[in-house]
Amino acid sequence: MVFSADAITAPCAAGGSNALFCKNMATSLVRKTKLLSMVSSQLNSAACFRNIHCTAACLKNRAARIRVAKGDKPVTYEQAYHPHHIGHRKGWLSQHTSNLQGEDGAAERVVEDVFIRRFMYGTFHGCLADEVVIKRRGNLLLICAVMIQKLLPSKFYFLIGYTEELLSHFYKCPVKIEMQTVEEKVVYKYL
Amino acid sequence: MASSCSQALRHHVCKSSRILRVHLQKAWPNRSFVLNSAADQQPAVSSPVEEIVIPKKKTWSKEAVLQALASTVNRDPTASDYRFQDDPYLTPKTSSEFKLFSLSQESGRNAAKYFISTYPKYFQKDYAQPHIPCLMPETLEAQIEEVSEAALIERIQMRKVKAAVDLYDQLQQAGTPVSLDVTNQLLDLICFYGDCDPAQENVPEQRNEETEDVQDEPQTKKGRASKASDKLKAAWKENNNAERIFALLSEPNTHSYSALIRGMVKYGAYSKAFSTYTDLLNNQLKADVSTFNALITAAPEVKEKYNEKWELIVDLLKQMAEQKVKPNLLTLNAVLKALRRCGTVGKSQAFPVISEMRALSIDPSLASYNHLLSIFYKPGAPFQGQTDILQEVMNEVSGKSFTPQDPDDAQFFITAVRICLDTKDIEQAYRVHELLGVGENWRLLGNDFQQNIYHARFFSLLCMMENIDVVLKWYRDLVPSVYYPSSNVMRDLLQVLDTDNRLDLIPQIWKDLKQLGHGNRQTLVEELLTLMAREKQNQEVQETFAECALDIKKMYDTGDRGKVMMSWTAGSLSDLVSVLLAAQRRQDAWEILKLFKTHNRVPSEELLDKFLTCIKESGDVNQALELVQISAGFCLPGTPKLIQRVQQEFLLSEQQKSMLSDLEIQTFNSD
Repeated sequence: MVFSADAITAPCAAGGSNALFCKNMATSLVRKTKLLSMVSSQLNSAACFRNIHCTAACLKNRAARIRVAKGDKPVTYEQAYHPHHIGHRKGWLSQHTSNLQGEDGAAERVVEDVFIRRFMYGTFHGCLADEVVIKRRGNLLLICAVMIQKLLPSKFYFLIGYTEELLSHFYKCPVKIEMQTVEEKVVYKYL
Repeated sequence: MASSCSQALRHHVCKSSRILRVHLQKAWPNRSFVLNSAADQQPAVSSPVEEIVIPKKKTWSKEAVLQALASTVNRDPTASDYRFQDDPYLTPKTSSEFKLFSLSQESGRNAAKYFISTYPKYFQKDYAQPHIPCLMPETLEAQIEEVSEAALIERIQMRKVKAAVDLYDQLQQAGTPVSLDVTNQLLDLICFYGDCDPAQENVPEQRNEETEDVQDEPQTKKGRASKASDKLKAAWKENNNAERIFALLSEPNTHSYSALIRGMVKYGAYSKAFSTYTDLLNNQLKADVSTFNALITAAPEVKEKYNEKWELIVDLLKQMAEQKVKPNLLTLNAVLKALRRCGTVGKSQAFPVISEMRALSIDPSLASYNHLLSIFYKPGAPFQGQTDILQEVMNEVSGKSFTPQDPDDAQFFITAVRICLDTKDIEQAYRVHELLGVGENWRLLGNDFQQNIYHARFFSLLCMMENIDVVLKWYRDLVPSVYYPSSNVMRDLLQVLDTDNRLDLIPQIWKDLKQLGHGNRQTLVEELLTLMAREKQNQEVQETFAECALDIKKMYDTGDRGKVMMSWTAGSLSDLVSVLLAAQRRQDAWEILKLFKTHNRVPSEELLDKFLTCIKESGDVNQALELVQISAGFCLPGTPKLIQRVQQEFLLSEQQKSMLSDLEIQTFNSD
C-alpha cells in the first residue's frame, strides 16, 4: 500500500484552480494513512507475526494422512487412521522411555529410529507389510516387523542374521528382530 | 537389627511379666492360670544375655534373578528352536530345513561381519557404557609393520601362522635375538595349527554341507561330514617349519619339546613324537603333564599287540612318577582312551586305573565314563552279563551337573543311549535322559547332528520297548520341537501302532509324515496303505482312512518342483481300492481301478471279487459288466468265475446276457 505522494502533490503544485480537488485528495490521503497506521499497528501486535520462512513447509495438518480418493487405493489400519488417533485407535510405533520426566536422549532415539526404519525398508525391500515397530527394553533394541511372504524363508533368515549383526555393531547394543509373515498386505479399507 | 530390638524387647517383656507373675502368685496363689499360660510361653533361654548370630551377607550374581525366573519355565514342546522366528512360515518342519535356516542365518551374520571388518571406520563410535568389546570392529590386519619381536607377538596372537613364521625368519636374518618365550609361543602356534593358517571357520564347511542332496538320510550325512573333516586335517609334514625352528633353538626347554611333541601327536607323526621324547630325556630335561598326555594318546599307535601297548603306557606313567609330574584329568582320559584300543587288557585294567586316579583326587568326567562304556560295550559285539556296568556308571553319574572339561565329554550321551538301545534297557535310558535335565548337562549333548543321533536312538528304543501311550507322549514332547525323525524311525512308530492295535491314529501320523517331508517315500507310504487295508474298522475310522487314502493318492500324482516321484505298484493300488471300498466309496474306487490299466499293473482276483460284492450292494448292472470286461482285458484266470457270479447275482437284459456269454466263450477259448 505504497501511496505515491508525488502523483497526488503534483496536481496541487500545478495551479489554484485545482485547490478544491487537492483538498479532497488531501483528506482522502490523510484518511488512508490513518487506516494504514491502524492496520500496521495491529499487524505488529503479538497476535499476528509473519516472519521469514526459511525451511520447507511442514504442514502438520497434512502429515501422515492419506486423503480420501476414488476408492481403489488399498490402505492398512496404520495408514487409515490419522495422527490424532494415536493413543486412541492406534498404538505407538516407537517405544522408549526418553520422553518421561527427567529422562534424556529423546532426540538420539528419534535419529536412531529413522535410521532403523530406512535400513529395514531397504534391506527387506518390497517385503514390509506395515510400519516397523521399535521397542527398547533396557539395553535391547527390538525391531518388530510384519513381512509379506515374498522371499523364501532361508533368504529371510539370511537378511535377519545380517541385520541383527550389523545393527548390533553399529549401535553397540543387542538388536533382535521379531518377524511375523502374512500372505499379502492386510488391507483395512479402500480410500 | 529390628529382630535384635524385638528380641530385647520381648526379653524385657518376659522379664517384667515374670516379675509380675511372681508377685501375683504371692498375692493370689490359686488364680494364676491366665498369666501362667501367657507367661509360661517364654523362649527357652535361661541366660540374660543371648547370642545373636547374624548370618553372613549373601552376594547374588547379576543374573541371579534371571536364573531364578528361568528355572520356573520348562521347554515349550510346541515351539521350535530358539534360533528361529516364531512364525509358521518361518519355522523349519524337516531336519533339512532346520539346517538350511540356521546356516542361512549364520551366513547373514558372516556377511555383516565382512562389512564391519572391511569398513571399520563407520563402527567406531562407542555408545555403550560400560564398553562392550565384542561389538567393536575387530582388526584383521596386523598393525605393527616393522620387523621386531612385538610384531611377532602380535601376529601370534592374531593366529597368522605363515606371517609369524616369515617374520621370525626375517628377525633371524637381521640377527635380532628372539627370546625363548616368544619362540616357544611361535612353536605352540605352528604345532597347534599344523603349519597352515587356520581356515576361516565358516566358508568351506558350509559349502560342503549346503551342496548335499536335501533328500538324504541323516546317516549318510554323518559319513560325509566325517570324511570332509578328515580331509581338512593336514598331516605332519617332514622338515616343516616347526622342526626347522626347533632345530635353530640353542637351548630348547621343556615348553619347546612339549609343543613339538604335542603337534606331532596331533597330526599323526607318532613315532617321531617318541623319538623327540627320547631326545628330551637325553638332554636331561623333564617333560610336563601335557607332553605325557600326548605320548599316552600316541602309545596305541606305535605298538601292535595289546600287551605291548599297555606296557608302554605303564612305562610312561612310571616315568611320570619318577619325574614327579602330577597327572591330571586329561591323563586319566588319555589312558582310558588308549585302553579302548587294548582289547581284553583294557577291560581288566580300566577299573584299577580309575581307582588309582581317584586316590590322587582326580575325579572322572563324563569323557572318562564314555571311554569306560566304550571299553566294555563294543559296538556290534555280543554282551554277556555286562549290563551292570552301565547301571553302575549311571549310579555314579545321576543327579550331578557336569561342566565341559574334555572334548570327548560330548560323546557320553550318545554312547550311553547306544548301549541302552543295544541292550534294550529302557530304565537306564530314562536315567540317561533324566541326567540331561540336570543343571548344565544339556550343554554336553553336542552339536545339532549329535543331538539328532541321540534323539533318534532314544526314540527307537522307546518304540521298541514301550506301549503306544508312552510312545505317543514322548512323540508329542519331542517331535518336532527338538527332533525331526527320519523315515526309519517313523516306520518303527507305525509298528508300535500296529502292535498295540491303534491303527485309528494312522491319519494323524500321515499328516505328520507329510509335514516332516517323508510323504513321498515309497516304502513308508506303501506300508501305511497296507496297514489301513488289512482289517475292516468301524465306520468313522474307515471314513478317516478313506480321506487319508485319497490324500496319499494325491502324493503319487503331484510331481512338482522336482520331488521324487513314487510309482504305483499292484499292491499299493489294491490296498487303496480296498480301503475305499470298505468306506463305501464306490465311485472313487472305480476311478482307482481304471488306474490299473494306465500304470500297467494287474489287479488281483480277490480285489475284483470284493469289488463285485460292493457293486452288488448298489445293484449297478452296467458297472458289473464293465468290471467283468476289465477282468477279461487283463486275461485273469478268475474271469469265468466272475462271469458266473454276475450271471447268478444280477438281473440281466438279453443284450447283456449275450455279451456275457460271448465273453465267457472268449475266456474259455483263451485258457
